[in-house]
Amino acid sequence: MKLVLLAILAAAGLIIVFGSPVAIEVPVADYYYESPVPILPMSFAHADHTTENCIDCHHNYNDDTGGGPCMNCHTTNQDVWPLFERQFHDLCRSCHAEKAALGEAGGPPRHCIKCHLGDDLP
Amino acid sequence: MKSLIVTMAVVFLITFLAAPTMGAGWFWDVGNGIGFAAFAGLLYLTIASNRRLDVRAHQILGYAVLLLVVGHAFWFLLGDATVVEFIKIGAPDYMLLGIVSLILFVVLITTANVPDRLRVHQNYPSFRYWHRVLTIVVIAGAAYHIAVSNFYLGTWYQAGLLALISIAVCFGRAYWIRLGQIVIASAAAYLAISTMLIAVFAGLRNLPA
Repeated sequence: MKLVLLAILAAAGLIIVFGSPVAIEVPVADYYYESPVPILPMSFAHADHTTENCIDCHHNYNDDTGGGPCMNCHTTNQDVWPLFERQFHDLCRSCHAEKAALGEAGGPPRHCIKCHLGDDLP
Repeated sequence: MKSLIVTMAVVFLITFLAAPTMGAGWFWDVGNGIGFAAFAGLLYLTIASNRRLDVRAHQILGYAVLLLVVGHAFWFLLGDATVVEFIKIGAPDYMLLGIVSLILFVVLITTANVPDRLRVHQNYPSFRYWHRVLTIVVIAGAAYHIAVSNFYLGTWYQAGLLALISIAVCFGRAYWIRLGQIVIASAAAYLAISTMLIAVFAGLRNLPA
């Protein structure tokens, strides 16, 4: 049994280091949007979100903080960069989960790869 | 068998208290259904550990629960190449606690078997004490992992109920003993009930109404 457990832990370690050998879609981490460390690619299509209220995401329309594309600040500003992952996960997932709870079509509420394959990747 | 069914049903019912049809796709819901079945198995193992314990049955069921715990982790690690990024340094605390709980569960099992048990513990009371303490830590970590991930248990009362049940299981030993001798369910029964509940859990969230 100990050998089986060791094998499981070793397999988990290999997956963490080298990635899943069976996953069909694999994201490529890189310095997207001038991020200080490699980050996962992200998919976001404005065309799919035209029914949403702009200010739900574009807080700068309301509070005068920053401007232009989100990533102008969120990956380069030292104050907000540490919150990057949490802020975007909270924003995107809460809205998608809310729609899923209401039974409305609202995009993937959790499945990571659905958002993290990136717009430009096959 | 009744205790197993009740324990597992309670855990899954909590997930259905709010937005019972809210799903995240078959892949995600089946993977998390496996996780809920594993957590329920862990609670049942604790409840059924009364004084006249059938050690062999407890041990075998422990391995079955471990199978689902590991299954839950590998399901996501293998099926979604992005998930691995969510368990590295800097991951949310609820993910790190999930991993810590998994590792401690492996430790819990390996240090319970002779001869390894004798290497770690000088006497039986010491083993029982630390086995119990470790169980409480594993359940607490897993409950936090479930509640704070905040999807299936999206309301305060669902998270509260899960916490309440976990506390009752961990600290209600005096009461569980009074229930009388619980015959520990077989691993096959546990896995069969798990399969059914996972199918219901994922089916309700993904099949068209």
